[in-house]
Amino acid sequence: MKKIKFSKAHYDFLRVYNTKKIVVLVSQISILICLILAWELLTKYEIISSFFFSSPSQIVKTVGELWKSGELIYHSGITLSETLIGFAIATGVGFLVAFMLWYSDFLRRVSEPYLVVLNSLPKIALGPIIIIWFGAGSKAIIFMCILIVVIVTILNILNSFTNCDKQLIALAMSLGANKFQIFFKLVLPSSLKDIVSTLKVNVGLSWIGAIMGEYLVSRAGLGYLLIYGGQVFNLNLVMTATVVLCVLASFMYFAVALFEKIMKKHFN
Amino acid sequence: MPMQLTQALQANFINMNIVSLKNLTLTYQSLDSELLALDDISFDVKKEEFVSIVGPSGCGKTTILSLISGLNKPTSGSIKIMDKTPNLKDSVCGYMFQKDNLLPWRTIEKNIFFGLEIKKNLNKERKDYALTLAEKYGLKEFLKKHPNELSGGMRQRVALIRTLALKPELLLLDEPFSALDYQTRLELSDHIYEIIKKEHKTAILVTHDIQEAISMSDKIIVLSARPAKIKAIHTLDFDANLTPFERRKTDKAKELFDTIWQEIQNEKDKI
Repeated sequence: MKKIKFSKAHYDFLRVYNTKKIVVLVSQISILICLILAWELLTKYEIISSFFFSSPSQIVKTVGELWKSGELIYHSGITLSETLIGFAIATGVGFLVAFMLWYSDFLRRVSEPYLVVLNSLPKIALGPIIIIWFGAGSKAIIFMCILIVVIVTILNILNSFTNCDKQLIALAMSLGANKFQIFFKLVLPSSLKDIVSTLKVNVGLSWIGAIMGEYLVSRAGLGYLLIYGGQVFNLNLVMTATVVLCVLASFMYFAVALFEKIMKKHFN
Repeated sequence: MPMQLTQALQANFINMNIVSLKNLTLTYQSLDSELLALDDISFDVKKEEFVSIVGPSGCGKTTILSLISGLNKPTSGSIKIMDKTPNLKDSVCGYMFQKDNLLPWRTIEKNIFFGLEIKKNLNKERKDYALTLAEKYGLKEFLKKHPNELSGGMRQRVALIRTLALKPELLLLDEPFSALDYQTRLELSDHIYEIIKKEHKTAILVTHDIQEAISMSDKIIVLSARPAKIKAIHTLDFDANLTPFERRKTDKAKELFDTIWQEIQNEKDKI
């Protein structure tokens, strides 16, 4: 690549662009710092009750204690693994079902009312049934997680599959393509963007599924810490679990965002 | 005798009908109606002939192409492409659409190979042939680029090379120029005409642009309003050396334009 020399106006443009970027980032960070500082000071001087609101320093202390006792890793590990397993199974199954429904017009038409009903049903209502079927353990939580994620996945991905450009399909058909060729050479590549955004939504939904499942049945996990902390009025524990949850969820989101970036680079 | 026989066979080959349509009708079925789209269409296309189909919009021009390609089946009548019923699996047709239908995520090179890939024909020889075509017709420097980096005319040229890479006996051109601006359109029709003649291809062009049909064809088929019947067939005898652009400027072209314009206008009045 030849190095191109730009005009002064272009460098000015770049400078303005970069300055804006830095200002946004600095604002974001300072808001966070201000919030934490205000929280700390308000609770320190008991302007708001540190019993009801906990405080940043107490949260840090609690994290330290939980870390030392190994409970932090234990509970986060359980919730994280439930979330990841639920996410993986639901996304995989959802993708497969979407493929089958795309492949067979008959199946799609038959299953339509079932999908609509399942989609509008609040999955938490199935809690008691799930506990009876799977027992009060990780299996039930993962199942709850899958239930919440899978229907949305099917609907989103199927929608993206069926929206593939009809003209492109006509071209492939005029070349004598079979349905698998049409799927792998046209439908899948043109749906990649939607699939990645479905993954992003699924990350959030899987956390909801896992925490909801833990509220219902568990004896371990971050959801359990939240419920337990609430019941014994240990707000430090509740806040700590919430913060840890935030951190884990953002890591998972960034992992998907990174995956998206790689895909974009690869498939233009 | 054997000598005469060979000559007769050769003569027969040159005059061979690549396409032969006999008494073709097509009825579209829907829940509350039945629509006769094509009514008793018969015509032949000889080897290396360039035939255009014109007619009022919505009369079923594209439908005829989809029947010839095998994408659609006629209600009655027969279609023979080189003495065989059209079959998508081993088709001798190359279909070019109004839209270039290039895959945006593939490079130009990979787009050109798309047809070969679908036909599971992507061997060294075919690849080389496709690349030679691309080079010959000015796409060499774009091979590693993506479709969104090319102009509309260039993209349509890529679509043609993608079609030609399959070595089709018969090209089906469904208004391939209509999405382009006027300038590009004239340029590209000169180019494509030249390519088709050089590669000795037979072609059927569907268009609503009478001038375009006159500028490129050996034969023009005028269709009536729906249900489409053949209203007239004009055989053109321009000097073979004229480019489409030069043809447009001749008096003969202007006369013919008036005749065909009138024929189509009469049909529009009927609707």
